[in-house]
Amino acid sequence: MRKYIYSVILVLAFSSCGAPKGLYSWDKYEQASYNYLKKADDKSIDQIMQQYQKVIENQKGTRQTTPPGMFADYGFFLIQKGEVKAGKANLKKEIALYPESKIFIDRILKLVE
Amino acid sequence: MKHSRYLLLLATLLMVGCGTTSKLNKAKAYKGMYEEKPISVLIMPPINRSTNVDAKEYFHTTLNVPILNAGYYVIPPFLSMEILKRESAYDSELFIEKPSLKIFNEIFGADAALFTIINKWDKSSLASQVTVEVEYILKSTHTSDVLYSRKGTIIYNTSVSSGGNILISIVASAINTAATKYVDVARAANSYIFTDLPKGKYSPTHALDKEEMAGLKVIKVRLPR
Repeated sequence: MRKYIYSVILVLAFSSCGAPKGLYSWDKYEQASYNYLKKADDKSIDQIMQQYQKVIENQKGTRQTTPPGMFADYGFFLIQKGEVKAGKANLKKEIALYPESKIFIDRILKLVE
Repeated sequence: MKHSRYLLLLATLLMVGCGTTSKLNKAKAYKGMYEEKPISVLIMPPINRSTNVDAKEYFHTTLNVPILNAGYYVIPPFLSMEILKRESAYDSELFIEKPSLKIFNEIFGADAALFTIINKWDKSSLASQVTVEVEYILKSTHTSDVLYSRKGTIIYNTSVSSGGNILISIVASAINTAATKYVDVARAANSYIFTDLPKGKYSPTHALDKEEMAGLKVIKVRLPR
């Protein structure tokens, strides 16, 4: 029992402050988002699309699944590049993985049609 | 008896460990979060009251990752940015005082909207420091109640210690100031502000963090410590 209490406290100690726990791995996604907003040129678009692929396919976080929004934003970039079919497929993957996105993503799918 | 003393000591250590704890636990400090249990969050475009014109866009890109890491669904940031622009809703000043935010639930399916106000976003090259002051307000789209709000000032000292050589120190400081991006400081502010956010649906500690002590509403941090 005592051991149990101590271990609970230890867990709390580690979770209450300090380093983030890492549900997801982000590779260079954050820098790529920043660069895209700053420059919005072909190079920064290629860069962010590569990052979406990495975050989607090569997920090292504790949840071991694609983080929310990644399929959808990747799909959005694909559609802007003219790859409408692949883009829509990614939007649908977002709904399948995160049903709470359905209201919004259905709206986008209608806009694309 | 001996053990309770140890427990007390541990508890004290826990409280001083973060340095910024209030006297409330999270269940009391963020009551609305536990009552409404928001799942999905819409990031509103930051409100920029600083003199730096680029602050709004740059700060915007730093917000989704910390909220995702806390276990929430965040409405896809680039897609939502596009729709807010199309609907002429890119100015958050229009909405922050609105009595109803239900529209964001109808269009985006969001349970909560995160408003941020950038009060300061300054670089002082003389003192070689960057100061970012931001207010964060998470409002329910169902009730318009404030679910979580904190204000943070991060003062980032960009000078580099170089073991006493003054000339190297001055040069290193100049280079470091030039290289320091505001976004890094903004990320530091975010991580301080959001460590306190009760964990969301996708976190293993969701709904288990009620008894943790909440941090202060207003925090000021100098980095590096």
